[in-house]
Amino acid sequence: MILERRKKYLQIALNSNLIEAERIIQNLPFSNQIIIEAGTPLIKTYGFRVISEIKKIALRRISDEDIRKEYIKTFPSSMQFLMAKNFTSRQIMVDCLINKGKFSLFEPYVVADIKCNDLARKEIAVVSGAQAATCLGVAPIETIDSFVEGCRYFHIDSMIDMMNVENPLLVLKKLKQIPDVVMLHRGVDETEINKEKQIPYYQIRQIKGNYDVLISVAGGDTIEEVERAFFNDADIVVVWKSFYKNTEDTAKIAQEFYKKLKVSPANKI
Amino acid sequence: MLNKRLSYLQIALNGTLSEVKGVIGLLPASDRILIEAGTSFIKTYGIEGISFIDRLWSYKLGKKGYIVADLKCMDRGFTEVMAAKDSGAQAATCLGLAPIQTVNLFIEKCKELNIDSMIDMMNVEFPFGILEKLKQIPNIVVLHRGVEQLEVSNKEIPYLQIHKILETYDVLISVAGGETFKEVGGAIFNDANIAVVWKAFSENPSQTAKLAKTFLREIR
Repeated sequence: MILERRKKYLQIALNSNLIEAERIIQNLPFSNQIIIEAGTPLIKTYGFRVISEIKKIALRRISDEDIRKEYIKTFPSSMQFLMAKNFTSRQIMVDCLINKGKFSLFEPYVVADIKCNDLARKEIAVVSGAQAATCLGVAPIETIDSFVEGCRYFHIDSMIDMMNVENPLLVLKKLKQIPDVVMLHRGVDETEINKEKQIPYYQIRQIKGNYDVLISVAGGDTIEEVERAFFNDADIVVVWKSFYKNTEDTAKIAQEFYKKLKVSPANKI
Repeated sequence: MLNKRLSYLQIALNGTLSEVKGVIGLLPASDRILIEAGTSFIKTYGIEGISFIDRLWSYKLGKKGYIVADLKCMDRGFTEVMAAKDSGAQAATCLGLAPIQTVNLFIEKCKELNIDSMIDMMNVEFPFGILEKLKQIPNIVVLHRGVEQLEVSNKEIPYLQIHKILETYDVLISVAGGETFKEVGGAIFNDANIAVVWKAFSENPSQTAKLAKTFLREIR
């Protein structure tokens, strides 16, 4: 599994278009505890190329100066002084860092929210570049099994989205292999029409008591809801609405989430 | 948009753009052939992929062809239907297992945009249970046997459900999951309006273009 246990993650779902996505990503704080989700509508609109587009956008937000600092650090201390005076193009510096295994500094963790329901092997094979993919919990069990197996084969994290599943434990019991992440989900349409529908927090401990998986909670959008989800032992909280509706406020909201998450900003390069 | 008295063959395309181009080139031009932009295809190429199929098939027919966008919508019925309509699709699909609010919004939006709504009952034990809860009835109900269900469990196509649904609701029935001419004929014989095939066309296009010609000749 790529994600680390014991860490808390904030997942930002991008659902509108690439221009909005760029604005949102540019405003996000640097951290490997922030996950970017290529939402289903975005994938269905642009196709899988949207994943590499997101990665390119994320790379653009790193300044030349920051890249140069990291690039110079890769040389022996005796050479660093000389390298600092040399002009090297951004692309060469990035390529060099990637070749030296510093790729994780630039590559955000991207979830492809493909909501797989059939033809799992085919879909996973083409989700190029993503670190995780999602499959529906309401899909046939054969499909979920094939999905989890495929994710293991391609070394990406498998996430099972339990939207509209009454009892996720019943689905997990039937599986041959356990996925890496279980998502407890309240749909967007559900939330807008039935405001009383609650996120099933009680299921988090139920699932964790039985299976060694990470729990992701989707469908909340206020800071209070995010805090409540973490308080209830969720490992990942997915937010979308605040980011989707007010791009201008994104930086503020993200920073606030960031503070509440208490993540160390040391990940900024 | 579809005629209840006619039988249709829906061909699901899930390959690459060049494979899709090749398959469409082999197919006989007929109104009774519906072209489906499969879910995997849409996820790979996006709405541009649907427009690509629409352009090719409409060119072949010499008029606007019938394209199904197999969105398998699970949430945000509104956004996805808009995208499908913009790309030239005449029908879009929503999962029967989606939250009822999503299915309702999906049907409502399809009516508003004047495209056919298809509800895919894959992995739904009792399609009636879903139809009963809806505010409006969709245009088409798809009875579905998934690819993995077929390969791993050899699950049967639920022909029994066709009559039950037709007796109660004024909808068209589409049956997905059969591949041979025998299975396609079986679905139509059992009163389905649309038979969906996918595997044969992606694995052996020339052989299966024959199936389409036989379908047009033998089944009315």
